[in-house]
Amino acid sequence: MARRVAYAILEDREDADDAAQEGFLSAWRAIARYDSGKAFRPWLMQIVVNAARDLRRRRRVRAADSLDSVSPASRDDPARTAGAIDLGQRLRTALATLPERQRLAVVLFDAEGYAQAEIAAMLGIPEGTVKSDVFHGRRALRRVLSTVKEEWDE
Amino acid sequence: MSEHSPFDSAPDAELGTALREALAMPFGETFVNRVRARMRQSPARSWDEELAGWFWQGLAAASLVTVLAGWGLNTVAPADEADTPAQTASVASQLFEGQMPGANVLLASASSTESP
Repeated sequence: MARRVAYAILEDREDADDAAQEGFLSAWRAIARYDSGKAFRPWLMQIVVNAARDLRRRRRVRAADSLDSVSPASRDDPARTAGAIDLGQRLRTALATLPERQRLAVVLFDAEGYAQAEIAAMLGIPEGTVKSDVFHGRRALRRVLSTVKEEWDE
Repeated sequence: MSEHSPFDSAPDAELGTALREALAMPFGETFVNRVRARMRQSPARSWDEELAGWFWQGLAAASLVTVLAGWGLNTVAPADEADTPAQTASVASQLFEGQMPGANVLLASASSTESP
């Protein structure tokens, strides 16, 4: 999941892996400073998010990735493969149009299952801002989902 | 999906699943192996542990010089303090060896495809 979140920020799989690796290594080096009274995953995810943002600052984000990113789930169901590719691509395109903070908020909340308070702490923003970002991010992404589902139904 | 309001405070399961698939990262095992390899290359001690190590090495060297100079201050470093650097350094090594929770939890997050 750390890799997915890094990918949501960087929009490039190689960069996402580099950032996730850097995040894990940073966490590994800082593990002695981890407060065991707090949840581990948000702590780790915050480090990965920071690593991805740092990498994004250092590198120009390359163009959207190719079709080699079909998920294992869609490979298992050839009848839906084309649709899954299409949906995945459209969602990634829609994500790319969102401001980074909205993108992160909706991915961390809906895809990764973090509480809004945890996301607020991770991103260093008020919880109300997370709610607003999730609201705006969802609106764009749900529109894509609806459109693709309607096309599938036709 | 249309039954969801944008104001929902609960995660949207359908959107979440679609996003996880859209953002799926292949070669999880390869990634974990790559990070493990980097961890092995990375220093076993963090910078503060490293500095603590330098401190104790410096203190040991100073004590040795003092003793050699004939000052006889052989009570400078009590035995319980002398154990501290080894204990500190072992945190990272124990973690890496899997004797403490941490490394596996860390790497499990890399290969996880499920939501928490």
